[in-house]
Amino acid sequence: MSPALQPTEEMSLRIQELAGNLKIRDVMTRKVFAVTRHCTMRDVQTIMKNNAISGVPVVDDRHVIGLISVHDIMNAYEQEWMADAVADHMTTGVRTLAEEQPLSIAMSAFSKFPYRRFPVVNRNNELTGMVTLRNINMALIQELSRQLDAMETEGGRISPATSSETFIFYRVYRIARYDFEAGGKASAELREQLQARGISPKIIRRAAVACYELEINIIAHSFGGTLTLYVDKDRVRITANDFGPGIPDIEEAMTEGFSTATDWIRSQGFGAGMGLPNTKRLSDEFAIQSGIDMGTMVKAIIHLNPQEKQPDENE
Amino acid sequence: MKKLLLLIEALNATAASTPDGWENRDVHTIFASDLISDILVSEGDHILLITSLLSDQVLRTADVIGAVAVVLVNRKKIPAMLGKAAAKQGIPLFHTPLPKFESCVRLGRLMETL
Repeated sequence: MSPALQPTEEMSLRIQELAGNLKIRDVMTRKVFAVTRHCTMRDVQTIMKNNAISGVPVVDDRHVIGLISVHDIMNAYEQEWMADAVADHMTTGVRTLAEEQPLSIAMSAFSKFPYRRFPVVNRNNELTGMVTLRNINMALIQELSRQLDAMETEGGRISPATSSETFIFYRVYRIARYDFEAGGKASAELREQLQARGISPKIIRRAAVACYELEINIIAHSFGGTLTLYVDKDRVRITANDFGPGIPDIEEAMTEGFSTATDWIRSQGFGAGMGLPNTKRLSDEFAIQSGIDMGTMVKAIIHLNPQEKQPDENE
Repeated sequence: MKKLLLLIEALNATAASTPDGWENRDVHTIFASDLISDILVSEGDHILLITSLLSDQVLRTADVIGAVAVVLVNRKKIPAMLGKAAAKQGIPLFHTPLPKFESCVRLGRLMETL
């Protein structure tokens, strides 16, 4: 493992943050099927078949000296090497990862090298586990879920450390695909919060509608995501993040009347292609970013201070 | 401006859920649409919402825009769960067998009277 390996630039900051505190040993599979150099290719094939795995490391006194992949087995079939010792046909010069390394190193290793698995070793260079992309995905999903739980528990409370002058309301909502029943929960709560603060009905309506449009967008068009409300004395910030599929052409999505809604979504009264344009029109500040297969982030800010410039109604 | 009771009577509408004091709520604007996004960008205050949509989302949308009440048109009957949802939200909900156009004409005439 080269020590120069750094997290790749393309790796989104959010994912890096998520991986932040995790180490490779936290995510690796510890139950490893390894063979010694004298086992045959057929032995490895049997291990792979019985345990549904696609790569078996070859060890010598717990040190990794090679790896047999499904590709090697297929090759051995073709060449009639199945009775040969693995030492004759294994892939050598295998890259290993150290269990103490941060998870981001494993993630960049997968994007830099064509391998689908890496053996993991301890400080004495002894095999202790295997890591695959599946391990990493599962760990990230668990970590995301854990962080969301923590945010949901903390959210909605006024932090005692900061006075109500600076911090008024904060909450994260988890939103599932096609869960129309839950649509409107965040906007109803936002409305209540703003009413309790005596904000003008016009501004409350703008904020509630923008929030509702973003909730419905996650429900109708994404695989699910989160919506975060943050209200302080000057403004409402609504952030909608989803897990994909991403918007191929943002300009098109921002065009009034453009919609990818299905007939079913339309039968619910949605899908007029006005969601994003409406949200932008209602917001004082608006930003959207999207990546195919990565997800979409929309940020809408509504100023609560009536002295500030309001968006032109006829815009 | 008209009292809600007067408008509901003009539509021969049946109550599915009504909070106390609904009769005296003031209506300033009538808005009729079956498209949620149009409802969301409707203008005016104290709106009486007229629609033929039967989903829960109509009630949510009405809540988002702060509507005074909702009338479901072209409906002799409506699902019981809609009445329950309206009760939970505290929004008056009615239904009328009159079609949307006829409902709008009646309400329009009433709104124009002094």
